[in-house]
Amino acid sequence: MVATANTILNDDDSLPSHWRAAAPVLMAVGAVSILVSLALCYLASPGDQRMVGFETFLHSYLANFMYCLTFCVGALFFVLVTHLARAAWCATIRRVAEIIAVTVAWWAVLFLPVLAMVLLTKSDALFPWNGEDNGLAADKLMYLNGKWFAVRAIVYFGIWVVAASYFFTKSREQDETGSAEISLKLQRYSGPLIMLFALSLNFAAFDWVMSLDPTWFSTMFGVYIFAGSMMAFFAFMIITFTSLQRNGRVQKYVNVEHFHDMSKFLFGFVFFWSYITFSQFLLIWYGNIPEETIWFKHRMEGGWQYVGLLIILGHFAFPMLCLLSRHIRRNRTIMCGWSIWLLFMHWVDITFMILPNTGPTSVMMWLGHAVCGVGMVSVFLSLLILRVGSTPLVAKRNPWIPEALSYHVM
Amino acid sequence: MSTPKQEKKVSPPRSFGWMAEYSDENDLLDACRKVRDSGYTRTDAFAPFPIHGIDEALGIKPTILPWITLCCGLTGLTGALLMEYWMNAVSYPYIISGKPFFSLPAFIPVMFECTILFSAFSTVIGMVLLNGLPKFSNPVFTNPRFDRATDDRFFLWVDSRDRYFNGDKVKSLLESTSPLSFDVVREDESSDHVPSGLWKTAAAVVLIGLIPGSAVLRMRASQSEDPRWHVFFDMDFQPKKKAQQTSTLFADNRASRPPVAGTVARGDLGSSDPYELGYTPVPLALDASPTSVRMVSLTAADDAQAAKPVEGQPPTPAKSEAAGKAETPAVPTEAAAAKKDEPAKSEETKPAATAPAAAPSAAAAPAQAGPAGAPAAEELPWVSEFPVPETDEKMMALGKLKFTTNCSVCHGAVGDGVSLVSNRATELAQGYWVQPTSLHEPRVQVQPVGKIFHTITNGRGKMGAYGNVLSAKERWAIVLYVRALQLSRDAKLEDVPEPQRAKLTAATPTAATPAAK
Repeated sequence: MVATANTILNDDDSLPSHWRAAAPVLMAVGAVSILVSLALCYLASPGDQRMVGFETFLHSYLANFMYCLTFCVGALFFVLVTHLARAAWCATIRRVAEIIAVTVAWWAVLFLPVLAMVLLTKSDALFPWNGEDNGLAADKLMYLNGKWFAVRAIVYFGIWVVAASYFFTKSREQDETGSAEISLKLQRYSGPLIMLFALSLNFAAFDWVMSLDPTWFSTMFGVYIFAGSMMAFFAFMIITFTSLQRNGRVQKYVNVEHFHDMSKFLFGFVFFWSYITFSQFLLIWYGNIPEETIWFKHRMEGGWQYVGLLIILGHFAFPMLCLLSRHIRRNRTIMCGWSIWLLFMHWVDITFMILPNTGPTSVMMWLGHAVCGVGMVSVFLSLLILRVGSTPLVAKRNPWIPEALSYHVM
Repeated sequence: MSTPKQEKKVSPPRSFGWMAEYSDENDLLDACRKVRDSGYTRTDAFAPFPIHGIDEALGIKPTILPWITLCCGLTGLTGALLMEYWMNAVSYPYIISGKPFFSLPAFIPVMFECTILFSAFSTVIGMVLLNGLPKFSNPVFTNPRFDRATDDRFFLWVDSRDRYFNGDKVKSLLESTSPLSFDVVREDESSDHVPSGLWKTAAAVVLIGLIPGSAVLRMRASQSEDPRWHVFFDMDFQPKKKAQQTSTLFADNRASRPPVAGTVARGDLGSSDPYELGYTPVPLALDASPTSVRMVSLTAADDAQAAKPVEGQPPTPAKSEAAGKAETPAVPTEAAAAKKDEPAKSEETKPAATAPAAAPSAAAAPAQAGPAGAPAAEELPWVSEFPVPETDEKMMALGKLKFTTNCSVCHGAVGDGVSLVSNRATELAQGYWVQPTSLHEPRVQVQPVGKIFHTITNGRGKMGAYGNVLSAKERWAIVLYVRALQLSRDAKLEDVPEPQRAKLTAATPTAATPAAK
């Protein structure tokens, strides 16, 4: 073990150059798609329905924003929790998570349109509590008002940006020095930061998604978002590493054991997500109190009931059964396929949280929403590639690397 | 513990084998691979910590444990579903929180927990059994060097019971792996006879453990005259006083206290107004004092059946029936003389059959007397004329509204006793359910309006009292509507006003048309 501690494998850990070339293209595609989506939602609506179309676009923007943001917060949690647990197995794959987490700063910028909507207008197009005469109790408005909302958003992003940047910078520093002290220091900080993370993600979920229906509340909502985030993050990691290896990158640093572990986490969070989602439903369904059931009522009519059914089958039943087997979890191609499917289901899930607030489904809504989704994901990928730049994809001098390489899943 | 017995036990060859010792896990892994490649399968490795890849190095096949877990988990899942289906929807259908009997979302938590429970238990037990445990002894324990397997040494063991075992070959093979040491290890020669005292103690513990269970079973199956055991007192003994008990708390030693001054009465308000009562109380009590009024209402409550014994008929058959189960039936005085007391002796086994057999012959079916004629009720000076305007449309509308709200759930919207509540209760086959009276029965049709009003006010049989719920005006309005319903059921074409007759004659059925409005 000691003999291999300073082994640096002869492995290509740079980003494929044609990926880097694609970044500007993706950015352009993303920007255009989002504008096309706005046009689809706003201009394609008949004259008197334009505000409704615009409202749909805002919800779609928020949903797709949340979709991409969940990768970042999932990555940040992964970085924090693996340091907290002194996990060795992930030392070779953690750099990618660090990079995904650090892109959260860009998403703070992309949140500005939402913030501007809230602060500069008194429109209730997105958040009903922002409009005049919203009929909410005064003590609810003490929390749900534009200025306080903005302050909280700044705090959430502040925590995430500081945590992600700190871990990324320190990890990069270790690339130069190879100092184990850095790892110890990061371990020490991960504990308090993970508490701040939990609080900020919970309240962010309440603020940005739950308050779209300000009379409705579910104390599990933050965990609901978190469970989906983690699942999406692991699916994204599996796809990323499969693609990197297809392009001849990180062939030796990342082996089937790491894939197996990521797949186990993916499976675990598929089930955790189902557990949380069902628990939330069960409590509300059994209590049968109108002010709570209304959220599900909106999601059981106007075409959303079929979306709900798709989520039960596609987000829980099929992946749950198919990912049970160890042999499947060790097969990179099959797992990559399942990850793509689950990322799609995660998108449907986020859609199911946000879009029903605009009313029943319609073809134009799905079209506008999908185009916006393509745009936002393109922007996400483009920002990610730009953020990677020339950063090596493996933290080669991390003290845990030898253990991560000799690691076997029992 | 005789010597020949012990020899018999030892006669099968005691297991032995070769044990090699290594200083680190890589040596052990190398040695394992060599031994595996030589074809040995009854091997084992011991290390202070889990070693990645040792399964593969020893040639251990993948375990079937996951399949056991999966099967048991699915058993738990389906078992829980079937159990809940049977309990909630078949054996004891009971509406909980207004959910259906077979309510999948409510079942899922139990299904989930049972899946986990079965999976976890099967995994642990399966793991223990597949590992060959419990196993009280292993030859390796006889080697004092083996103690370091929990500290800093790694051991490889080749069992003599291996199919290809050959002492010399194993020796040279292990030698080639350059171990720190290697030895032949034999299971020690001590007896594997379990001391009989241990068996006896175990048997005694098992037998003692059966006592509470069998005592409970016996009590479940037998009857006893003794008062029940109060293992848990629950609410059987409470520091409270019941009516007619004494109490030292008050000077007069009575536990029951009169209502405190200013208590508001709900009902029994002392009214003597026929409008509030449904009958004129004067003939019974010349003065209108509250006591007299209460007397009247009490008399009215037990009308037909209470009147029977006064006429010299036997007491209610229901009572003798109940008494007959435990002891000799309390045979009615005069009727019994004719019938002798043979049921008491010869047919004691089925008294439920004998008592009714005796009663109808003597007592002219007292059970039918009440419903059929209600002669006793006729004795009360019922109000026979409506104290409210009969043709007032508003009154009729009020009556319809109140009837639909309060009465129709049981009596049905047209008063025929067919209703959702009744159908549901009949479907559930609840023994205590009494079919609601049809308001079109002849005995109800001949009732004076005051009697119907009185029934609504005070209830009757299973029907609750509505005096507290509905004002006197509303009750009279309901009586008015009931009368209208009764009329409509038997209405003839001539009863229908001239202008509307043409409409009815056009359609074939005439009787079904409500003529109330």
